[in-house]
Amino acid sequence: MKTALRLESMFARWGSVMSGFLVLATNLGISAVARADWPQFRGVSSNAVELNADLPIEFDGATGKNVAWKVSIPGRSVGGAIVVGNQVITTSSVGMDERRVRLHSYDVESGGQNWVQEFVARGRPYCHPTSANAAPTPTSDGSRVYTFYSSNDLACVDLEGNLIWYRSLTSDFVKAFNDTGMSSSPIVIEGVCIVQIECQGESFVAGINAENGTLLWKKDRPRKSNWSSPISYKNSEGKSVVVIHSGSDLVGLDPKTGESIWMKDISCSTVPSSLAFENRLYVPSRGLVAYDLSSSGEPSELWKSSRIGIDSSSPLVLKDRIYTIKGPAVYSGDIYTGEVKWQARVAEGSVWSSPIVAQDRMYLFAMDGKCSVTQLGDSEGVRLSLNELGEDVLGTPAIAGNAMYVRSVSSLWKIAK
Amino acid sequence: MAGHFWMFMPSWPFPATHYSELIMRITVCIAAMLSMACYAGIAEGNPVDRNAGVNQDIQALRSLEAGDESMVKGASAAARLRDASDCKLMDFLHAMKGAKPVGKNWLLGIANKRYLKEKGAVQSELGSFLADTSNDPEARYTVFSWLTEADTDLRMKLLPGFLDDPSPELRYAAVQQVLESTPEADRLKTLLSSARHPSQIVEIINRLDKAGVVIDQREHFGFLSEWKLIGPFDHVGGHNFEKAFPVEGDWQKGSRAPVYEGKAGEVKWIDHTTSHKEGLVDLASLYNKEKGCIVYGVTEFESPIAGPAEIRMGCINGNRVWVNGELVMSNEVYHSSMQIDQYIEPIVLVKGTNRILIKICQNEQKEGWAQDYQFQIRISDSTGLAITAK
Repeated sequence: MKTALRLESMFARWGSVMSGFLVLATNLGISAVARADWPQFRGVSSNAVELNADLPIEFDGATGKNVAWKVSIPGRSVGGAIVVGNQVITTSSVGMDERRVRLHSYDVESGGQNWVQEFVARGRPYCHPTSANAAPTPTSDGSRVYTFYSSNDLACVDLEGNLIWYRSLTSDFVKAFNDTGMSSSPIVIEGVCIVQIECQGESFVAGINAENGTLLWKKDRPRKSNWSSPISYKNSEGKSVVVIHSGSDLVGLDPKTGESIWMKDISCSTVPSSLAFENRLYVPSRGLVAYDLSSSGEPSELWKSSRIGIDSSSPLVLKDRIYTIKGPAVYSGDIYTGEVKWQARVAEGSVWSSPIVAQDRMYLFAMDGKCSVTQLGDSEGVRLSLNELGEDVLGTPAIAGNAMYVRSVSSLWKIAK
Repeated sequence: MAGHFWMFMPSWPFPATHYSELIMRITVCIAAMLSMACYAGIAEGNPVDRNAGVNQDIQALRSLEAGDESMVKGASAAARLRDASDCKLMDFLHAMKGAKPVGKNWLLGIANKRYLKEKGAVQSELGSFLADTSNDPEARYTVFSWLTEADTDLRMKLLPGFLDDPSPELRYAAVQQVLESTPEADRLKTLLSSARHPSQIVEIINRLDKAGVVIDQREHFGFLSEWKLIGPFDHVGGHNFEKAFPVEGDWQKGSRAPVYEGKAGEVKWIDHTTSHKEGLVDLASLYNKEKGCIVYGVTEFESPIAGPAEIRMGCINGNRVWVNGELVMSNEVYHSSMQIDQYIEPIVLVKGTNRILIKICQNEQKEGWAQDYQFQIRISDSTGLAITAK
């Protein structure tokens, strides 16, 4: 197994080199499709790890130490930023009741604004004061960006910000809302934009044609609040499977049709999202449950651990460890057995965003904008620094190159040496 | 038209009374009026003298609603309009007037990009568009944002003129600006008559209270306070949200029996008057924290006017509302937050007695945060200003 891991790590490095060529090609105008460095919530594979990124261990919002640039953005956002080619893209909601929902593009080098799109929320914009209408992280397939809001307004623009299509899913399904706010981030897979709208009203997951916004399929879901996001993986036959979970089930869906491929009756956490990585599926459920994805059929349970703590943050895998966050602590669990190898108190304050890893260092933002940087070792986690931005952070940062892009509630930051 | 228009004209090196300025202002006014007359054609669906395809596409976007058919139409029209050379930013802004809400967002999406290209040439036109209160309120607020996000001075200068603006967003921004300036009590009292957003109204009343000026919040909002209530009826399993218990039928026929068969035997009407400042009727305390149940409430609203109005409800439980026999509100949602004016629906009032029936449903969730069972209701005009019963 360890040999396999080394090989995977090698392929990951090759992937990074190839990605570099792709960026070069894009910069030379060879391709109209930009490389999507961090195209969605938690990055390409939903495993928020960049093995080669060299990020600063220390940074400071007040002094500007290792802050390459910062731009203030009117309104609020609790979603993360994404990076597509030379653009860092983020959302905001602004004005009366946060009814104006926006999508902003900034230049990764300078922080200068490329373009901004805006719509008026046609769904209900209300949410808890700590959240925002701009809660979901946008997503990109490398040529277009799909932006979604708690009010169920969904829009697609090209990389110049031109409107391709707009859809008000609340206009389609008027009882689909949660006045506490919703935050599930969409994904785009094989030309289908997947949105998970689970609430006390009309609750569903839907596949939207990424080309023109038409509804390909819609599947009813339990009528209970759920803030987790869909993920995807390829099964042993090379077919894509979308995974969603709720307080009462875990489901694998065909992204093209919405047909259920497999389903498990299991009570999952309704804030963190699952992770599918290297033939394993990790699901937050009274701790963590791991499934084997190596066959094309129903995933079989590998292990279950109530000792691996997990709250709002989604898990990530680095080498042979799964990392989760509960309270102020990071948990390091063995991916083969679920055994907790160590846990360490790293955060100060409540945490809503998910951790990211650059090389072998974990960056974790507490809500008050304090970011702990922790060296992840085999037998312990050592906090290397605690860095203050001075603004609330609820979204998960993005990594591209040797920079981290942090969406605080009111600003966008580039953290780099 | 409001007076802001002049702010967007070039600065003149002459005194205000100089003849050349007067002539120039008149010329610009005439040009603006001609321009508006031209755009009126688009807003009302009459093609103006330009490429017929462009007009058709703009009209197509204006009419877009929910559903896949709209998506297909919208995507193709938007693709053609994005780069069309024979239409301009102002075409899209004017077209928003009278457009469907979904269609407006398509127009807005194109306008946003057009603005980046054309903004240097259209500042004056945008100024007159903003000042004209007959334009679409959302389009006007968009223009306001464009013009002022990078110009704080202009924002400060313009906002006081929007305190009584028909655009809810502009009015909200204007009230917010005054609130941020920590006004004295007299100013707050005036501001209260302008404010429509519940959060701002509550803020003003609280600040006035601290300044020793007491405002009856319940009366200001116009919450309905006198109710006849009956229940609990069965709602175990959440199955009876749509079931018409006999109370409903009787009330629609203009009668009500003194006793009905409830969840656990006979139930009778009780009179309840709320004195809560937010008009809250706390059914949990009135019905012994019953779960899996339904309570009906009836009241009569003596309207001083006939015509369109709005019923505005805050409720953390499943709810249905009938006004004069017509079902006007139905929300099968439980414990998903609650606030003043959470649900707003249009109604038509008759002058005199309007009969209101509500059905409030409690589910059986056990969590501590899922025990509330309460509602608040008021009647207002389309801006949110309370219509007070005779």
